[in-house]
Amino acid sequence: MPPQAALVNLSPAELSFLRSTLSQTPPLRLDVTKGPRDFRSMRAEYDVLPSANGSARIALEDGTEALVGVKAEVEKTPQTPVLGEQDDVDMSNGDEHSDGKGQGQNAWVQVGVDVPGFRDDDALPVFLASMLAESLLASGELKDRLYINRRFHWKLYIDILLLSPPLSYPLGLLSMTTHLALLTTHIPSLKSEKDEDPLFDDDWDAASPLYPKSTSKSSARDKPPVIILAIAVGPNIIFDPAKEELAVADAVLAIACTTSSSSSTGAKIVSIRTIDPPSHLTPPAVPNSMNSATGGTAPDSSAQALTMREMLATSGVWTPPRGGMKRGLVSQVTKMVVEKGGVAEEIIGALAGIETG
Amino acid sequence: MGVSILPPSAPLPPRRDAPTEDSDVDMSDDELPTSNSASIVTPGEHITSDPQWMRGHGTYVPAGSGTIISTVAGNLHKTNKLLSVQPLRARYQPEIGDLVIGRIVNVQTKKWSVDIAAPMLANLPLSSINLPGGILRRRTAVDELNIRTFFSEGDLLVAEVQSLHQDNTASLHTRSLKYGKLRNGLFTSLSGAGGGILSRKGGVVRSRRQVFTLVTAAGEIDVVLGVNGYIFISKHTAVAATTTETGINRLDEQVTETLYSSQNDEIEAPVLKEITRVSTLIKGLVACGAKVDEDTIVKVYEGAVELEAEEQSLGGVEKGVGAKGVVEAVLARLAVENAG
Repeated sequence: MPPQAALVNLSPAELSFLRSTLSQTPPLRLDVTKGPRDFRSMRAEYDVLPSANGSARIALEDGTEALVGVKAEVEKTPQTPVLGEQDDVDMSNGDEHSDGKGQGQNAWVQVGVDVPGFRDDDALPVFLASMLAESLLASGELKDRLYINRRFHWKLYIDILLLSPPLSYPLGLLSMTTHLALLTTHIPSLKSEKDEDPLFDDDWDAASPLYPKSTSKSSARDKPPVIILAIAVGPNIIFDPAKEELAVADAVLAIACTTSSSSSTGAKIVSIRTIDPPSHLTPPAVPNSMNSATGGTAPDSSAQALTMREMLATSGVWTPPRGGMKRGLVSQVTKMVVEKGGVAEEIIGALAGIETG
Repeated sequence: MGVSILPPSAPLPPRRDAPTEDSDVDMSDDELPTSNSASIVTPGEHITSDPQWMRGHGTYVPAGSGTIISTVAGNLHKTNKLLSVQPLRARYQPEIGDLVIGRIVNVQTKKWSVDIAAPMLANLPLSSINLPGGILRRRTAVDELNIRTFFSEGDLLVAEVQSLHQDNTASLHTRSLKYGKLRNGLFTSLSGAGGGILSRKGGVVRSRRQVFTLVTAAGEIDVVLGVNGYIFISKHTAVAATTTETGINRLDEQVTETLYSSQNDEIEAPVLKEITRVSTLIKGLVACGAKVDEDTIVKVYEGAVELEAEEQSLGGVEKGVGAKGVVEAVLARLAVENAG
């Protein structure tokens, strides 16, 4: 058996090389035409699935491709039995909850992620699905919009399909595709009133968008969240990492953000997570001084090997990064994301540009 | 340019066959779609049942019928009366003598399994590598125990295909100073079959110089183009010039001192930049569907450096998005120069 199940199958020499290119100032990315804040170019389209309420497809230039379909179904809200006097289903008394504020439930949004080569209960798809669901439900506005009346609600099924093997960590791509699909999701408009059984308009043109377009110019349109991946390599911060760049990262941060209502910042953060970088699992390089094939002497015991490694000073030897992300770096990343004209505003603007133009 | 999102590329042209496909019994000569090279055939598609055609690569004739059926997805090619289908994507088929770059997938007691982008993993027996110091002797049990000091999982190496087994698995060897472990550089791979007549557009050209040194402003860098589409770009390691009068064995020793090292030498920042630039340009070349060989790499590299210099001094040089855009701009300039 290999010493460690290799998630990253790069040689120690390559890892060391990648690390040294990414720690330059400014960092040299794998694609030298890109700066640290640039995203890989992508192709996007929406309304690709005719029978879904909203759908989108995004393909990155390296061949990773994701397809998302959003389907809304009417579901009966289970009534919690109340002891004693039970106020009847009242047609006049439904005013206080008619807008659904605070009525939404997390179970009304179901996110499923399918990654080729992975089972449904594998860690990667489950983790991706829960991260995406978490960011969607964080603000609470989406689930409130699914409220129809006291007895019925919309159930939103978001099916996310990665069409290619996961060449890099697919969270960013899946999130952008979901964003675009939700942005273009329409649900049929309601014709019935209050607590009647819901009746919908057959006319698809009358359907209302799930994320309504802003009526006034001043307030920004409420948009679904989008998750941005950022890695730290030494003092450098790099957005939208490729697979090889991810393999040498000190730390990976997934930041979900959405448009903010205040004008001072470009976006607001909905949720933030750190992801264990695959670099932690890479085996360290054997330095020449410890390699019997290069004239060194192999250490006798693992304790001796450890001391020899700690005293190592040469830079060309790959040592997997240890520990997490410094506080200063985390705040720097969040600032770069949310500031006016920051990364979040850029990506949300670019995705909105597809829908409008 | 932070984020660039493009509309989807144009849909594929309509399939050439469609409804009349059932009656391909009397398919005449000029109905064969050689003129329309944009169309592709899919596996299992009937190409023709006209007996005047012979079947070539990528086709088969079921027993008891005369219909030629495609076995791969690709473009149909016609050479006189021979029909062959060139696959859109194919794996590398190893041939004896090919220079390949491989990655160790697993280590066994007496051999390594190496990924060379072929349908099956290649073998590298312990007996076909050079021992450090160039010692010639039988491999002992000690060598078998120390097998990971030579190559371990994930390591990159350049090797030559020594022999092919019956099931088309390749056996490699690194018994030359040119071959061995790779370090001090960057690995790039491009998909698609290597050389041969049926190779797809783009890819490494076989039977050209595959190991060469590129002279850059920052210094020399080595490029190794494996026939299997794996490419390694590294810092040029100069052999010390003081060994001129010493024997060939001394030279061996000097080189092989670091033969199995897995640590990088000190690489200066400008060299790092040039190495990543060449790697990006090669990816751009593949995206443009151009062939990758020494000639094009040198030309495109020089063009790209020129382009960057112009942009810095003048600004506003027209170049597209990403690596593909740069390569396209350079290729367009080269075409203008050649025409003028």
